[in-house]
Amino acid sequence: MTGSSGLEQGYRRLLAWYPRAFRRDQADEILGVLMAGAGEGQRRPRLAEAADLLWSGLKMRLRGPALTGESRPWSDALALFSLVAPLFLLLADVLAVALPYGLHPVAQFRFVSAFGSHTEIGGLSLLRQPIFDVTVGLGVLLAILVLLGLRWMALAALGAAAVYWVAARQMVPWIPYPLQLLTAGGYLLEMAALIASPGPRRGRQLVNWRYGVVLLAAAAAVQLSTFWYGARSTPWFLGGAPPAPPVVWLVSSLVLAVAAVSLALAWKLSRYFLLLLAVMCYPYAMELAFTPSGSGSDLLGSPTPLHLAALFLPPVLFACGTVLAAVTPRRSRLLPS
Amino acid sequence: MQEATFLILTALATGSQHGYGIITEVSQISGGRVRLRAGTLYTALDRLRIDEMIAVDREEIVDNRLRRYYRLTPKGSQKLAAEAARLQANAAAALSRLDLAGGTT
Repeated sequence: MTGSSGLEQGYRRLLAWYPRAFRRDQADEILGVLMAGAGEGQRRPRLAEAADLLWSGLKMRLRGPALTGESRPWSDALALFSLVAPLFLLLADVLAVALPYGLHPVAQFRFVSAFGSHTEIGGLSLLRQPIFDVTVGLGVLLAILVLLGLRWMALAALGAAAVYWVAARQMVPWIPYPLQLLTAGGYLLEMAALIASPGPRRGRQLVNWRYGVVLLAAAAAVQLSTFWYGARSTPWFLGGAPPAPPVVWLVSSLVLAVAAVSLALAWKLSRYFLLLLAVMCYPYAMELAFTPSGSGSDLLGSPTPLHLAALFLPPVLFACGTVLAAVTPRRSRLLPS
Repeated sequence: MQEATFLILTALATGSQHGYGIITEVSQISGGRVRLRAGTLYTALDRLRIDEMIAVDREEIVDNRLRRYYRLTPKGSQKLAAEAARLQANAAAALSRLDLAGGTT
């Protein structure tokens, strides 16, 4: 291998850190500039050149495909998710407050008092704790920031919510309510989406009213199944019958879930986006799945590290994989054909 | 506007240039103070193209490699003129105040 071709290979390896579409369009051109600027007898890229190319490539990857003219379904789905997930979680939280007040007054009283009044708001707040205000406040702030397309500020708000949740977990030693599992799983993925995608500004270009309809149905399904879950958990209804047969909530929830999925398929919503939503709901679904067998209350009441790992590992792995896939170059495409 | 962006637009103000030409021009304009590296240059060029401040003028093949020439767009010219005016006004204000304070020369 001559010094010149060795140098060129070195530059090509560094250029692999750029997004594929950018490489396809401009790698040859940049290579020309790099080779023109190389010193006499130079055999490998200089350290400063390497650092500059690595840093620029990484910046361009983090900037995302929307800005590099590349269109990739995963990136678009993540961008959409980064916009929609906080809204979905907020919607689920708001429904958690609003739905009990739609019940018959007698049932409402029984239900609301059984649930510890409307402080039972879900999200990252913990049961019957006044700190839920902070949680919901952070949720509202996050939703506003993603709607405004402020990616890095949203990430900061998300970080604050996560720190707050960890701190709250230290204060109150029981496992979060199912809705909180949903939120925690959602926030993990939201973090990955904000880092690895072009961000909510791109999501805003892609979103339409159909996503809103599907999300509303999905949030209502989640909330109704939470009622069913509550009715199955004896602590909520000590000494009193539930305000409606739990099976009604379960059936309503299933109908809404089927409707949401059917509409998503009929309207051809991004399947990648739907997969992300499914992963976000994984901890929640798992919690519910354990309830009929009686293990759900174990999960709810006395979490072990194994429980927590089972609940959170898949979303964490998915989130890490997404970020890695977004920032790691593909080695197989490094070398010229 | 960052200094590198300003200098790149300035390098293109007199006519279209290819990548290495821009690096050379920027070095000359800044008196050797700013030496753009290829990664930084193409990140900036990509951004400027997306912002429609520059456009590809033409392409050539030289030594079996693609060479792309970039030119300022009308929007880029306007932005550069506005930025230059702003810097000029700031510089004038600074010099004027220095004069009032007794001068530095």
